[in-house]
Amino acid sequence: MRGWSTLWLVLGGIAVLFGAVMLAGASPAAVTLAFLKGSFGDASHLSQTLVKTTPLLIAGIAVFIGLRAGLFNIGVEGQLVIGALACAAVAVKLPGAGGAVLGTIAGVVAGALWALPAAVIKAYRGGHEVITTIMLNSVAGFLTLYLAAGPLKAPGQDHPTTADVLTRLPDLSVAGLKVNAALVVAVLLVFAVAYWLRRTVAGYELEAVGANPLAAEFAGIDRRKVVVSAMCASGAIAGAAGVVQVLALEGRFFPEISSGIGFDALGVALLAGGSPIGLLVSSLGFGALTTGGTQLAIEGVPKGITQVVLGILIVAAAALRYRKVVTVA
Amino acid sequence: MPLAVRMTGITKSFGAVRALDGVDLEVEAGTLHAVVGENGAGKTTLMRILYGAAPADSGAMEVDGKPAAFQTPAQAIAGGVGMVSQHYGIIPGLTCLQNLMLGAEPSAIIDLSTAQKRAEALAAEMGFTFEWSADSETLSPAACQKLEILKLLWKGARIMILDEPTAMLSPLDGEALFGSLKRLVERGATVILVTHRLIEVMDHCRRVTVLRASERIADFAVADTTAKDLARLIVGGDLAAPTVHQPGSGEAVLSVTGLSVLGERGNLALVDVGLEVRAGEVVGVAGVDGSGQRELVRALLGLAKREAGEISFLGSPITGSSPADRLAKGMRALPEDRIAEAEIEAWSLELNAALGLQRQPKLATAGRVNRAERLRLAEAIAARFSTRHGGLHMPMASLSGGNQQRFIAARTLALAPKLIVGFQPARGLDLHGARAVYDGIREACSSGAAAVIVSFDLDELLENCDRVVTLFNGRLTVPEPGKELDRDLIGRLMVGAA
Repeated sequence: MRGWSTLWLVLGGIAVLFGAVMLAGASPAAVTLAFLKGSFGDASHLSQTLVKTTPLLIAGIAVFIGLRAGLFNIGVEGQLVIGALACAAVAVKLPGAGGAVLGTIAGVVAGALWALPAAVIKAYRGGHEVITTIMLNSVAGFLTLYLAAGPLKAPGQDHPTTADVLTRLPDLSVAGLKVNAALVVAVLLVFAVAYWLRRTVAGYELEAVGANPLAAEFAGIDRRKVVVSAMCASGAIAGAAGVVQVLALEGRFFPEISSGIGFDALGVALLAGGSPIGLLVSSLGFGALTTGGTQLAIEGVPKGITQVVLGILIVAAAALRYRKVVTVA
Repeated sequence: MPLAVRMTGITKSFGAVRALDGVDLEVEAGTLHAVVGENGAGKTTLMRILYGAAPADSGAMEVDGKPAAFQTPAQAIAGGVGMVSQHYGIIPGLTCLQNLMLGAEPSAIIDLSTAQKRAEALAAEMGFTFEWSADSETLSPAACQKLEILKLLWKGARIMILDEPTAMLSPLDGEALFGSLKRLVERGATVILVTHRLIEVMDHCRRVTVLRASERIADFAVADTTAKDLARLIVGGDLAAPTVHQPGSGEAVLSVTGLSVLGERGNLALVDVGLEVRAGEVVGVAGVDGSGQRELVRALLGLAKREAGEISFLGSPITGSSPADRLAKGMRALPEDRIAEAEIEAWSLELNAALGLQRQPKLATAGRVNRAERLRLAEAIAARFSTRHGGLHMPMASLSGGNQQRFIAARTLALAPKLIVGFQPARGLDLHGARAVYDGIREACSSGAAAVIVSFDLDELLENCDRVVTLFNGRLTVPEPGKELDRDLIGRLMVGAA
């Protein structure tokens, strides 16, 4: 039932897009063609879509884990930049596989630590995680700006940026299609999360806390422990998304490195519904919209239209989340 | 005698389930009329149609001789029909007077002194007294019930539907409530009483309508029947007698000494409680709502703020152990608020079957969920008390309240419990269902478990428990030997008047 309604949503969003295109006097068919060409058309465009998809998918998993535990982690953006910076700080010094591994660990741990205050405040004082993580986002933004402009700034640069890292994540490209090891890891992570939630007792308990914290307590589940561990896991994965930005994509840290991935990830996770596998579809959709939108701009359709469509989809998805169940017996 | 309500050929379906099938109901004006039947017989649906909460699919309705077809409760109240809800609609933080007027304020700018005069007049007619400017948070359950009745009178209701009005009241308060209802009826109002307590029907009502399996199967003057005949009509056969039992003389399963616990508002909700429960024993805890029952259940489970005292379970101290440890050792809880505390409505029945049992060795191997066992367990739980459901993959919320209760009660008894802590385990269940649940508790106890049962219904406890203790103002009293089932003594202890 829910699966179908999501399909209608997507179709509705496309209908709105077509309506807007026709109002602007263009042909929906031509625009669709341009969009598909721009996102999946050939190896180079598809590569670009996959590059955009990878951090969105990982950050989407981060938001998703929080949502399953009943936590709305708006702080993925902050945890991501902190993770990216920690990773860069290590990887500008250490080359090779060692640098990649230690850089990844640094980014993941930093992301988790950045989520920890919000987790503890939520679990032990009831402070709402939306408020605390928004605040921590600002702190993370300015802290990383300061570090990239000061202590960690690359010598001889005018703009705040670290030096180039000395190591990269392995490139697994085949036949002109750029595939980074990070994408493979991200997809594996999705399946790992799916397995963990459905097949382990800890996953069951996490979802119980998310669905009904009081009933979870009566079921012998330590709500506080679950909240802290879920929030930190979410932060750790957000940190991993930052690692990918540094080690797979940009090769250095600079303050605009995320450009809102953490916020787009909220949409990715919301549109995925309750299913981890849905993350694969929704992140690919977001990635395609970004690259396809660029192609649209070349064709003369404002790129912003893709954001409008996304916005409508997310609002409608949120409206569908809380529907009344009909009593049958 | 003219009819206040005449419903003819009322039919109502929810999806494929027919809740009412051509049901008639005639209620004489100025009488107390009872509607009885098992869970799912259609009582609640019929009443919801009468007060406009769920329009009928077909059938006709007359109120005070005029055709009526209420589409909303607001239309019903304008037509003089109102319902006192089972879950009190009193908002704490508002004064009694504000609660009384809620939704029926006399004008945009309220003249409080005129309103208060009218409130006092209404209350005096019923023989109630209220401190109108006091915060309604301080009201007892009995006072809430009275305020709910006044709310309907304030709105001009002449026909009132009461659903299990004495469920939360002590016997004394229950008697007083019926005294008030009689006054109301003498003044020409009509009261329709939906209840499982046949004693109330026999003692207070003029006529009774019996529903069974979505149809009306009997309607007669109460004077022409007996409680026994009525029970037979309701269940459609004879009801098995309670299982005979031997009082427990086994090992101590639970022993509580000097337990004091803080309540939600930081007050002492339990004071120096001592209680010992032996294997094989079913111990009832009687008391009016708010006497410390909630805190007792939470303290036994390890969820309360303990001030002092010790608890031991199966011979070893558990005072500091976590809820998870207690559950692992065989403690099982059936909490008070089913929806908020005992289940996850959005989850399937299958997932709910494991809630609280998720770490039992049978359901988890090395941290992994044993899904085949979980499904088998869910099947067994649903079958145990014949939960009516549309598939184990369906959400819990798709079940009616009674069926949710059957499912949760069966889960509490699953996987060899050692101590059952039940808060109104048969809440909202009909005679058959309640009998089955108590028999299930008894069966567990005959194989070595013990049970502590909290209920606001003293008769239910006296019928099903080996002995009854009382809670009043957070203090637990164990009646002297020989008087453990003495209704008069326990009734007095419940209100602190021993």
